[in-house]
Amino acid sequence: MIESLPSTKQQPKGPEANDKLTAKVKSFELKKNDKYYAWLFLGPSILLLTVFVFFPMLRTLYLSLFLTDTFGKPTVFVGLKNYTILLKSASYIASLKATGTYVVSVSVFTIIFGLLLAAMANQKLRGIGFFRNIFTATMGVSVSVSAVFWLFMFNPTLGILNKVVIAFGFHPINWLTTPGWAMVAVIATTVWMHLGFTFLLFFGALQAVPKSLYDAADVSGATSRYQFWHITLPMISPTMFFVAVITLISGFKSFGLIDLMTGGGPTNATNLLVYRVYKDAFMNGNYAQASTEAIILTVIIAIITFVQFKLLAKRVNY
Amino acid sequence: MKKISQFIKRYWQLFSAAAVILVIGLGVFGYSRSQVHDASGRTRVVFWHEMKGPGQKKLVTFINEFNKSQSKYEIVPQFQGGYNDVIQKIMNTHGTDASPAIFQSMDISTSQMYHSGFTVPMQKFVDKENYDVSKIASVARGVATRKGTLLAMPFNTSQTTLYYNAGLLKKYNITPPPVDPTYSDITRVSKQLYDRSNHKVKGISVESYSWLFEQFLSNANEEFANQHDGHTGISTKVNFTGPTAIKSMTWVQDRVKYGDFMNFGSHKNEMAAFLSNKLGIYMQTSADMSVLAKGLGKNLGVTYYPRPDGVKANGISVGGASLWISNDKSEAVQQGAWEFTKFLINPKNQARWEKATGYLAINQDSANEPILKQSYEKLPMLKVPSDQLKSAKANYTNSGIFVDGVVAARSLIQNAMQQIYAGKDVYKSLKAAEDSYNKVLESNNLANGWTK
Repeated sequence: MIESLPSTKQQPKGPEANDKLTAKVKSFELKKNDKYYAWLFLGPSILLLTVFVFFPMLRTLYLSLFLTDTFGKPTVFVGLKNYTILLKSASYIASLKATGTYVVSVSVFTIIFGLLLAAMANQKLRGIGFFRNIFTATMGVSVSVSAVFWLFMFNPTLGILNKVVIAFGFHPINWLTTPGWAMVAVIATTVWMHLGFTFLLFFGALQAVPKSLYDAADVSGATSRYQFWHITLPMISPTMFFVAVITLISGFKSFGLIDLMTGGGPTNATNLLVYRVYKDAFMNGNYAQASTEAIILTVIIAIITFVQFKLLAKRVNY
Repeated sequence: MKKISQFIKRYWQLFSAAAVILVIGLGVFGYSRSQVHDASGRTRVVFWHEMKGPGQKKLVTFINEFNKSQSKYEIVPQFQGGYNDVIQKIMNTHGTDASPAIFQSMDISTSQMYHSGFTVPMQKFVDKENYDVSKIASVARGVATRKGTLLAMPFNTSQTTLYYNAGLLKKYNITPPPVDPTYSDITRVSKQLYDRSNHKVKGISVESYSWLFEQFLSNANEEFANQHDGHTGISTKVNFTGPTAIKSMTWVQDRVKYGDFMNFGSHKNEMAAFLSNKLGIYMQTSADMSVLAKGLGKNLGVTYYPRPDGVKANGISVGGASLWISNDKSEAVQQGAWEFTKFLINPKNQARWEKATGYLAINQDSANEPILKQSYEKLPMLKVPSDQLKSAKANYTNSGIFVDGVVAARSLIQNAMQQIYAGKDVYKSLKAAEDSYNKVLESNNLANGWTK
């Protein structure tokens, strides 16, 4: 702290003061040294962050206040007009709603199914090790691969899902071309993709719950349902919080799957916010609008993460 | 462990410095790779293309042949992904060493490339050598022409075509549609197929793809945008609600209502259903031809793109892409790019191109090449798309849309098409797309300084 340093103009009074001053100067030297190291250590990452994060962020904010020409250069200043136009546009509102539906469903279903699988795998049964491996298998499948084979399954005439539907006597479903079903299809695929990792986290958490707690509960005659709600759930709540945060954020970031499966269609039903930014910037070449959308998305994610930490952190037992 | 962490602590700066140098070094290395001359002193001509599959294979063959055929130039192909990506890449790399000497860019980017001022008009080379461009199909040139000046050279050219499964038609005893069909000709076949197969076979599919919508307008000589589709000036308004737009979309919606129509969601699914005898008719690029002919052989039927009843076919514009020569390279490099262009569009190579890929030979003399003659004799329907191409005389409505940012218009139209397929009102859906795009056009024109 520069402010706390003694001014060199202040003359010391007497030998004692002189000693004090040398001590202070010494400590100052050390501090100066610290500073040098601080810059040395932080410098590279600050440099990288500036180039790849801060500058693009500010640039995005800047672009969102202009109209951009054919080359993506800002030419006409319009202030907040891009924002007002966007927030009034029906298709953007629809995208917001679709993103909300998608993110919440993905997060909820991932937690439910992940926990279910983990609870099943936590039983001591013969050959359970095999299932434990199988349940984590989706971790090894890339987005593009899973999109391709889910696409096969969703194929309206040749896909296995419609064969099942027909076998049950229903009309075949146009999975990816009916707005409602397309959302279901995309959510199902995403949940499936997230499941492996979520399972692993929950399984780890379940294994870490001390057995003595259950023994004590057994002794006092608590039912297994009571044990689940009052021992298991509180004990794994930090993991649950973690899973909720990461699935929510990765839900917002979903891109590859949308691009490969629906391309944002039909009728923009799966045109999620991130995909929209990409489409407007790199396909439609409308950088101003894409920047505006990016800023709004950033604000939304910031708010949600903040709220999540405030609300959930209170209910989590660490 | 402690030793390691001490070691890392001591030499941390060194590590970070090394990392920074590595990153910068890699960048510089990548940057300097597009140099002007190769080892043997030939002029390097970097060529950006977006061909995949059979197209890429054949293109690489052509490039190798060209490089062997002479010793002055070396074409260096670089695959750049999709058509949309390339536009952005060109806009962002022009004037740097990373930009190409010659590149392939799609039909609807013509206006944007023209306005960028980043390219040399092909006309310059054509005039210098008195190259006879009249051999190149007139609608193909039309898409790359501005007020009589040829801006780019069409290369991989396709047109929308109607395919039908002649085997299925025979099975259910249905008279095939004529070669230049109207909407009601197609309706008849589609309905009969659906009814006579006890609803097991779907009659028709029209992908919710704006290109198909645009061709409905072209074929009926209806303008998509004012200023004659942008060919005579800057368009300020679009028109998605003209008589043909309404007529064509209502036609498709009627098919949806009747049940003989199915929306397969993607070109791939459509093709799969068609090849597995679950779909009778679909309309897509003529480039599907090679795959379909392989799958169905003599059971493949092909006609021109349909037209409204009582309207004479105006001909449709071409899709695919053209070759553009950048103006940020030396004269020698530009000349090399032109030599390569001539090589690609000569009659023989265009004939081989059509045979290998299903893209249409744009050179009128290609039809006399033995390779095409033979395959036309074997499967006469292969010739239908190229007849369609030749039969059209270029005018404003069948020469593409000379408007910046048609990509954005396309996604709006596609959205409207999906709404129409889902049963929404035809006029309202198209009107909404029209209004939204008019706003885009207005702000785009404003941003580019094209309004007073």
